[in-house]
Amino acid sequence: MRNVLYVAVMLALGGCATTEGVTSFKAAEDTGNLHEKERRLWHEAAGYDRTIERSGQLYEHERATRYLQGVMDGLYPEFKGKIPVRIYDSTQLNAFAMPNGSIYINIGMLARIENEAQLAAVLGHEAVHFIEKHSFQQRVSTKNAASFAVSGIPFASLAAASSISGFSRELEREADAMGYQRLVKAGYDPREAHKIFQHLADEVKALDIEEPYFFSSHPRLVERIDEFKRLSAQHKGGGRTGAEQYNAVVSEIRLDALKRDIGQDRYKSVILVMEDSTLRGVYPAAGYFYLGEAYSRRDEAGDEARALEAYRKAEKLAPGFAPTYMRLGMHHMKKGNKGGARQYFKRYLSVAPRDASDRNYVQQYMNSL
Amino acid sequence: MKKFLTLMAVVLLASGCAPTPYWTLTDESNQVVKSTSFQMDVPKGWARTTKPVTWERVDIDGETRTLLLESMGVTRDGVGIHAVSVTRRYPETAFPTIKKKSTANMLPPEAADLYVSELRKRSGLERLTVSSNKPARIGDKPGFELLMQFKNEDGLRIQILTYGFVDKTGLYTLSYRAPVLYFYDRDYASFKRLVGSFRQLPGAFEPPPEIPAWAKLFT
Repeated sequence: MRNVLYVAVMLALGGCATTEGVTSFKAAEDTGNLHEKERRLWHEAAGYDRTIERSGQLYEHERATRYLQGVMDGLYPEFKGKIPVRIYDSTQLNAFAMPNGSIYINIGMLARIENEAQLAAVLGHEAVHFIEKHSFQQRVSTKNAASFAVSGIPFASLAAASSISGFSRELEREADAMGYQRLVKAGYDPREAHKIFQHLADEVKALDIEEPYFFSSHPRLVERIDEFKRLSAQHKGGGRTGAEQYNAVVSEIRLDALKRDIGQDRYKSVILVMEDSTLRGVYPAAGYFYLGEAYSRRDEAGDEARALEAYRKAEKLAPGFAPTYMRLGMHHMKKGNKGGARQYFKRYLSVAPRDASDRNYVQQYMNSL
Repeated sequence: MKKFLTLMAVVLLASGCAPTPYWTLTDESNQVVKSTSFQMDVPKGWARTTKPVTWERVDIDGETRTLLLESMGVTRDGVGIHAVSVTRRYPETAFPTIKKKSTANMLPPEAADLYVSELRKRSGLERLTVSSNKPARIGDKPGFELLMQFKNEDGLRIQILTYGFVDKTGLYTLSYRAPVLYFYDRDYASFKRLVGSFRQLPGAFEPPPEIPAWAKLFT
């Protein structure tokens, strides 16, 4: 009962911020009936969709995109076909909704989410921003205008800026509350909802991020974690997590996210993930290779040994993953252990695809040993 | 403000910026371009910088720092479209944004990986992709050949080809950047000839110069 009360209060609070005369969408048909100013906002948003697509910011993964869309349609069946979900090629933990209903979720976020219930919490929240017309409601402040440069998207629009960098505290609360309702209604375990905020809080702490981007910082993350925990504790009966299906779909994306984190020198993030016993359990074993790379990049006292240990774990647990053998071969070569180097390079050549980028180096080293 | 502008004018005049043209066209008489640490041949009719840039301002974790380097620029159509840059960075600041040094025993693929990370972080090119990464020889040094690509906001595909090597004097890179559409292929062979003509000079092994005191005013 308190749950219902909380949700009602949250919705009422959210309602306080609404622009007079703005009514939310009730179903897909309503989206054809737009106010003139809203129509312009949609037009603008469609332009951003095109920019994202043509500038290569979309992450192409047909299976995962189809899966995400299925989860969204399950949460909001009355909006089927009107809330397209796309994967955004960025390793930051973020997701955002455009005024026209386009939802983007970053590969960094997908990688960190542990199951379908957590994904539903994120998608459920983002869809509320669209359904309740938050972009249209929000009068974007000058502060937002100055801080909109998120994820390298070249947006000049204040409306788009708020879509990405977060809405007001009231609107975010409304999205939390309504998203939570949908999560429960769709049969997901609500006890999973707070965990994605926990991952974000850990990331913010580990990477010294001053202003978290996902769901903005309003209300503060800890407050939101506590609130979701409180709500879910009162929910009797549990629900499904959909872990197996989710992990099967995003396994490849997780490895790609680690690779990109290393490629962008975000080694702290890789260490955070791969040293977390829960997360490590859902990441592919080849993730140990990237943990090795992360320690090599960090290069603090003892990191050489840590890197070597991680490479060895990758060798043992993911024997088909070729980059590990190249790194171990290079390690032995630099230490003057020609036999060891030759053994690993040989292994690399037998495992790596014919068109592997590093094949030429390895071939050259083999010839020189 | 007035004082600052006056100071700037004095500094620029004193440093000799005013009388020296920054860019010049190459012809038979000035095709061989020499800097302190290296030399190379520039194709006839291309524009090139007359003197190397010897310092730069770099944003490192939100703090601007002035760093030493040696860099010459070359272009055929203007640097906005088509640019070749030949750069030497000193070991301590070889990969400044990611705060990594170069070492003489660094292997070419290790240097190439750090170079790509540096480029991504420094230029905000999060989605810069590596099409190929191969061993190469630059002058008499073993190095890397990196082919990279990204799309700009308008969807134009830009390709970057970088040759590089490290030795005890630092990181050397020769980069060619041009749109895939028309420009890249047109001058690919000319760039390869420029890379083939690259020579390290004895000046590379001399102690690094001081950062000019006036350059520090900018930080």
